[in-house]
Amino acid sequence: MRGNAIGVIYASETDSKLNELTIHRTSASLPFCARYRIIDFTLSNLVNAGIISIGLITRSNYSSLMDHIRLGKDWDLSRKNGGIVMFPPYVLNNSTNFQGQVEALYGIKNYLNKRKEKYVVITPANIICKLDFVDIIDKHDKSGADITLVTYKTSSSHVSTNIVETDENGRLKDMMLTTVPNEEEKQVNLKVYVVEKEFLIKLVDEAYARGQMNFEKNIIMNNINNYYINTYLYDGYVSVIDHIKAYYDASMDMLDYDTRKEIFNKNGKVFTKVKDTAPTVYLKHASVKNSLIADGCVIDGVVENSILFRGVTVEKGAVVKNSIVMQKGLIMSNSSINYTITDKNVVIKSDRNLSGHESYPIAIAKDKTV
Amino acid sequence: MYNNRKECVAMLLAGGQGTRLGVLTQNVAKPAVPFGAKYRIIDFPLSNCINSGIDTVGVLTQYQPFELNQYIGNGQPWDLDRVNGGAFILPPYMRAKAGEWYKGTANAIYQNIQFIDRFNPNYVIILSGDHIYKMDYKKMLKQHKDTGADCTIAVIDVPIEEASRFGIMNTNEDGSIYEFEEKPKNPKSTKASMGIYVYNWPVLKKYLEMDEADKTSSNDFGKNIIPKMLENGEKLYCYNFSGYWKDVGTISSLWEANMDVLNPKSGLNLSDSTWKIYARNLAETPHYVGNNAVVKNSAISEGCYIDANIENSVVFKGAVIKKGATIKNSVIFNDAVIEEGAEVNFSIIGSNAVIGKNSKVGSKEGHCINGEWQIAVVGSNVELSENSVVTEKDMIGG
Repeated sequence: MRGNAIGVIYASETDSKLNELTIHRTSASLPFCARYRIIDFTLSNLVNAGIISIGLITRSNYSSLMDHIRLGKDWDLSRKNGGIVMFPPYVLNNSTNFQGQVEALYGIKNYLNKRKEKYVVITPANIICKLDFVDIIDKHDKSGADITLVTYKTSSSHVSTNIVETDENGRLKDMMLTTVPNEEEKQVNLKVYVVEKEFLIKLVDEAYARGQMNFEKNIIMNNINNYYINTYLYDGYVSVIDHIKAYYDASMDMLDYDTRKEIFNKNGKVFTKVKDTAPTVYLKHASVKNSLIADGCVIDGVVENSILFRGVTVEKGAVVKNSIVMQKGLIMSNSSINYTITDKNVVIKSDRNLSGHESYPIAIAKDKTV
Repeated sequence: MYNNRKECVAMLLAGGQGTRLGVLTQNVAKPAVPFGAKYRIIDFPLSNCINSGIDTVGVLTQYQPFELNQYIGNGQPWDLDRVNGGAFILPPYMRAKAGEWYKGTANAIYQNIQFIDRFNPNYVIILSGDHIYKMDYKKMLKQHKDTGADCTIAVIDVPIEEASRFGIMNTNEDGSIYEFEEKPKNPKSTKASMGIYVYNWPVLKKYLEMDEADKTSSNDFGKNIIPKMLENGEKLYCYNFSGYWKDVGTISSLWEANMDVLNPKSGLNLSDSTWKIYARNLAETPHYVGNNAVVKNSAISEGCYIDANIENSVVFKGAVIKKGATIKNSVIFNDAVIEEGAEVNFSIIGSNAVIGKNSKVGSKEGHCINGEWQIAVVGSNVELSENSVVTEKDMIGG
């Protein structure tokens, strides 16, 4: 069932909880793992499954996302037939920003109708995993389900986690839309759905007509007994980037060889915008351990358990530990950062010492100087 | 005449076999040889073209063209995928009556007169695919127009003791050339030709046709076209270039140029954002540096896994250098694997080569004899078994 689906990506799910890091951008375009943006993983998963018609719904702060995606060439999505189409707000024939996912889907009905693919894959942009959409759509098809929702097992949770209950065949029985955070292992909704296009349009029309805008509440929960809603349990690595700690933890997970191998090699590569940056240069005093380093860095200091994005400079005597330094960060001589996330173009001046804690990494907003 | 008229078309001679690079050009043309951790030699002239505002480039290929053709593709990495103009790969081809290989540099251009005429240019700039340099051809073109020359030749000052290795231009005070000497024993000047020529296209076309008619000619710019033009009193001028320029035609010079990437005083600055060097690169992961790694004074590209000692070295994308290995003063091409405990010194390791556990490649000291570094070379895809020894200047092919 390769390619017989349209991908619909919501780019703005969780922005408010990422604080400093999403002042200037959507969570979808949040830089991740030294050279990527979070949306690269979802886009690559779709492309690797032959899904090349992709609608990208954005809500606010989307200029960095547009700059990242451009015509979609880097994902091979600059196509005559298919390709990526961006839907910013106000294309919905509406004078206001959309109220919820149902309205957003209603707004792109024309786009969906024009396409010839049979299925629609709906996915948020803020997940790091290597879903195999060929398998997901196949299982959906074979099960005869009306809707399939992708789930995974996790022991971390917070308020908006949807806990899922299924029968022994995986059919959805119940779903909690809000959760009291706890440490128990539970099956959770990844908010990735597969549904036949015509059927989706019918569901969206019905909900929209009644002013029901929440996809989980109004389309899934309201129909739990009316339709066959199946679950697909994904057992690979999953991180949902919905708050700063999750972003930090997922980043540090990439220092693990096996996780990296899964995320970057399983089910195809991860594509991203290619820039022409010179190779990274290590100078005489460099000491780098257990770190991921992008191109274009100049390193003359100490870097440990950290992630350096493109064009970062670590001067002599500077110490970067357990930290994430985004593009063009400058860590000047004899300063140190620990458990810190610095956004693009942040400058840490000489002799400054910053430290967060493993449980609460600190984030420095874009363009700031400390 | 034509709607797609261009003021200047670049013709890039990329057919060189590069025999002096030995195993490194066994399967690829010289211009496709990797350089500087993430580039290929041809990225330099191509990037110079687009940075100089020249958007129509004919790339003349002949020897081992597949990898080079695939690399250039539609020219997109250099912004050379254009509706009008762009990058064109020009191999020798069959004509109605006959077809033949490119016999020499001049013949290669002669065979593509029709291609150039399609753009009806005033000027043609001839480039070669075996030099590392950053140059604004716009400035050279401007001087060419200002002097009213028929041909302008870019030259670089070389030390007098090295001048006899180059083609030397002897000039008058105004920069006009009165004599050209190929590798003179007693050089009269230090202006070495860089193999970069700007011609008025009608003049060049006339000389190419004359040259082709001369059956004794070896159809070469340096040996035939330039001397002929001087003989006939055409206006030839020098364009003085200063800056980094290196012919990377030998193993020693290729190695040296890679080491220049690491030397801030060499004048080769790859991270200058006003004159970017573009390359076709796929989205590789960031490189990972492990707990056992010690990396000093080195350039490392994307996708590498490094858990070893690396000093004064250039490492290309996707190379894997395992625990306990030592790499010094060396160049490791893409996707090569250096197994545990291996020692690599003063060496070039080819793409996808594997250096077995505890092998020793190259000499620790590094010797330079008569200006030639004694570099050990392991070719692409070669797999050395455990405890192999490759001594200096050895070349291991596939």
